[in-house]
This record gives sequence, structure tokens and C-alpha cells, in this order.
Amino acid sequence: MPPAFKSIATLSQELKNGEVSSRQLVEQAVARIDTLNPELNAVVCLEADQALANADQADAKRAKGEHSPLLGIPMLHKDIFCTQGMRTTCGSKMLADFVPPYDATVVQKLKDAGMINLGKCNMDEFAMGSSNETSVFGACKNPWDVTRVPGGSSGGSAVAVASGMVPFATGTDTGGSIRQPAALCGITGLKPTYGRVSRYGMIAFASSMDQAGPMAHSAQDCALVLNAMAGHDPLDSTCDNTPVPNYHQTLDHPITGLRIGVPKEFFSSHLNTEVATAIDTAVRELERAGATVKEVSLPSTDLAVSTYYVIAPAEASANLSRYDGVRYGYRCEAPSDLQDLYFRSRTEGFGAEVKRRILVGTFTLSAASYDQYFMKAQQVRRLITQEYDSVLNEVDVIAGPAAPNTAFALNDTSKSITDMYMEDVFTIGANLAGLPAISLPAGLVNGLPVGLQLIGQRFGEAQLLNVAHQFQSRTDWHTRRPTLEAVR
Amino acid sequence: MTQASTVKDVAALARLTISEHDIENVTAEFNQTLALFDALQSVDTNGLAPMVNPCTANQPLRTDSVATLVGREELMKNAPSKAENYFLVPRVID
Repeated sequence: MPPAFKSIATLSQELKNGEVSSRQLVEQAVARIDTLNPELNAVVCLEADQALANADQADAKRAKGEHSPLLGIPMLHKDIFCTQGMRTTCGSKMLADFVPPYDATVVQKLKDAGMINLGKCNMDEFAMGSSNETSVFGACKNPWDVTRVPGGSSGGSAVAVASGMVPFATGTDTGGSIRQPAALCGITGLKPTYGRVSRYGMIAFASSMDQAGPMAHSAQDCALVLNAMAGHDPLDSTCDNTPVPNYHQTLDHPITGLRIGVPKEFFSSHLNTEVATAIDTAVRELERAGATVKEVSLPSTDLAVSTYYVIAPAEASANLSRYDGVRYGYRCEAPSDLQDLYFRSRTEGFGAEVKRRILVGTFTLSAASYDQYFMKAQQVRRLITQEYDSVLNEVDVIAGPAAPNTAFALNDTSKSITDMYMEDVFTIGANLAGLPAISLPAGLVNGLPVGLQLIGQRFGEAQLLNVAHQFQSRTDWHTRRPTLEAVR
Repeated sequence: MTQASTVKDVAALARLTISEHDIENVTAEFNQTLALFDALQSVDTNGLAPMVNPCTANQPLRTDSVATLVGREELMKNAPSKAENYFLVPRVID
């Protein structure tokens, strides 16, 4: 396998054996980004010199006998994480020149673990989108077919891993923004339980659902990184202090007797029939590995989209009110007075999708609409969560598709706004209920990747990673790579 | 059906301007999104407490002690306009 596509586990072993240095890995990654990025547009900030200096430090530590699994491994951050001294835009003109004075906790933790950050990944503006087309940097392209979207909002992170730029990138997931791009790009992406990973320094979209997680080739690599990302943070009051297990240690547990539930509502008219076949085949593989499979019901699956698109824009409208052109971020030219400064800075600084959601959120939070929309959606959120909890009393893991379709065409004008929102129909439930969920490669349909989604119990990341690893021990979908012929 | 005038009022609450050129399209999209929410109205939610977030009971609060995480000068570096450690805005008092 070419070095660009090697797993963290393999690279770590090679670093340990002295077969390669961290400097060489960073140089290879920079060269590959230089070659591929002009077409793919996955990386929006590259700090090669700083990365090389950090790689030299990692090599020096190894020379002194230090051997931690992530030491010296190159990576990229989604451009939603604050990186001290490194521009952080959240894919928006509003933050085009924003240089954070501090690191997000996730950034700090991965730095402490010895990972080498090369820069930042493209994303939908303020994480609002399922195609990475709302970014101020322009669309990011799917390496399996550059005429198609990579998914979103963590599209750049998914492409960076899928195209072999780096073995790992961070993502965030508010309604499917790790899992859907992971599915569409043929990589493995985990959204942890709400509260498992700190949100400090992660630019807020919808605070009751935002969660950071790993995006890599395999469940094994996700486990290695989650070990470093997870854990209590006094700087995030919603961050949980449930002890963090060693996720890598339980990967090899047999899954004999594991109870898998397949919601019948996930195999509805929304689901592409070929994707459905691939998911069914994948579930049967888990059955052959010793799991028992039964049909379950999540009757409110379709309501999840409506519920989410009330709650997320409402929270976003409140969170994004901080961008007023006064303290940081974009300010309009020559404001005539303070109101003009607010109006023009926000109108010029935000893109169309962000403004659309701010409008809807402002409306549903207004006094006249609050009970009809926002309160009602919060009650339905409770109902949906109860349904998930009830099913997870009967089974250990819920299995189904991560996305209803494979990657769709860039600039697809036949898709309405609400068509686009329906792309999230299978991922949103886990965000509303706060549950962990993973997407892993489970097939190819017409040469495009399909993602199997597994949803687990709260703080059941170890079990999800175990099941995913067992699947990947029996299949080779996670080792398939795009040819990138159109890019070179 | 929400009227364009209402959409403009909502935009003003959010400190956003919608141009005359865009208002028809924005209103249509706004109504398309609200139509997606119609499905919620028929759900029986009697007795269901609103769910604000999915937190469990394991979020210990830290001691509320004064600390400087980032210095004032560092924070001010991103200010679009400043003078002597203050953010500058257009005059608000005549």
C-alpha cells in the first residue's frame, strides 16, 4: 500500500521501528496535498514549516525512547476548531481573517498526544450543509468522482483522509456532518456521545447537538485517536466525566451474541435500492460474525428531520448573534452608524445558507412562534429520544444506512433546500438523542462508497468501535481507495 | 403562508437585510422550510417534557474562580477597529 494510504496503526509501528521519520511523513503529506489539493480543494490552510518543526520535535522524542501511538503522525483539523495562531474561518467570510488566541481542547489534546497538525480542512459555512458547497472557499470534490460532492459539513476532512493526504482528520457532527461525508468518501467516521468530547474552542452551531469526532480509514484508527480526544474538560460545562475506557483494547472482542436491531423505517422510500442492498449485505456479514439481527421500529424517523431543522437553526440564530462586526470577524466598510455596522457586517459576512437558517431560527424563537415550533420540536425531540432508548433496551446496536444515496452531483440544481435536508434523515436521530454513531465503508454502488451506520448506547463508543472493527476484520471495503486518475 | 413583510421583519430582528431583488426568493424558501415543520403539529406531545439537551447527570461544574485564560491584548488582536484597548464603533451619542 502506498505510504499515503497507510493506517495510523501501521505508521506508528514504522515510526517505532525507525523505518520512517515523522519529518518524512509530514513531507510526504505536504507533497500530496500540493499535488491533489488544487483539484480537490480539501485543505484551506497549510502550515508546512510549523508542521515540519513539530515533526522534528516528535522525532527527537522518539530518539529519546518515547513511543506513544500518535507521536509524530500527521493530521488535519476541520476549520471549525480554534487553533492558536493559525487562521480559523469556519468556512465563512465572516471569519476570513480570524486568528484564534487559544487552542480548542481537542486541538490541545491531540497536540499533547504528539500528533502533527498540518493545517485546516474545508467545510460547509458554519457547518451548515450536507455537500460542502456552502464554504466561502468553494466546493470540495469527492476523490471517487470529482464531479460529485464529498458530503458535509466535514467534507474537507473526509476528502483529506480518503485521498491519502493524511491518515486522520478531525470532524464535527451536529446532524450527520461526520458520518455522511465519511459514508460518501469511503472512510470511517465516529460521532461520539454528546458530552464525550469537549466542545471548548469548537465554533458553535447548535450547542445541544454539536460533537467532535475522529475521521480515519478504519475503526482501529478512530479508536486510537478517540483515546486522546475524549474526556472531561472543566472548560465545557456539558462535557461528561464518565471514565474514558481504552477503546483500542476491546476491538478484538468477539461479537457472538451481539443483538443488532435494524429499524424498518430506515428502509423507506427515501433509501436508494442499491444502497439498501449493500446495507443488507453488510448486516448479514455481522450476522455471520455471530450477531443476532432483528427488525425494530423507530416510528418517528421522518419527524427527526423536521425536529432538527427547528432546533438547530434556533440554536444557530442565538449562537451566531455574536458576529456583530465589533469585537472580531468581518466588519463592513465605512459604517454610517452602529445599526448600519451590525446590518451590513452580518448581511455581507454570512453566506446564503447561514442567513436562511438564522432567519428560520429567529422566527421559531420569536414570541408568536415559540410554542408552535420551538417548544413543540423540543417535545418531539423527547419522543424521538424515548424511541431510541426503548429500542436500545432490546438490542445492543442499531444498524442501517448512514445516507440515503451515494455521493450526488456538484451544483445539483434539481435538489430543493428540503431535498438537501433529507440527506440527513438517518443521521439526525443520534444527534437529537445524544447517542454515539459510526459510519463505516460497506460497499460500492456504481463505483461510489456506501456507509453502514451503527448507533449505540450512550457512552457505548467502545462497543461501536468493536463491532466496526470486527466487520472490517472480515471485509475489505475500508481498504478500497479511489484511483484519483482525474486528479493527477 | 408567511408574507414577505413578515420575513423582512424577522430579518431585521436578526440584523440582516434582504434586498428587494432577493425578497421573493427568500420568502419562498422560508415558506418551503416552514412547510417541512407542519408534520410536527399533528404529533401528540401531551405530557412530554421539552428536551433542551441530551446531557446526563455527570457534568461536574468547576469552581467558579476568577482566572485569565487569554490576555486582553491577545483577545484584542482580532478587533476590526480599536484604540487604547477599546473596540471602536461609530459614534452612538450625538
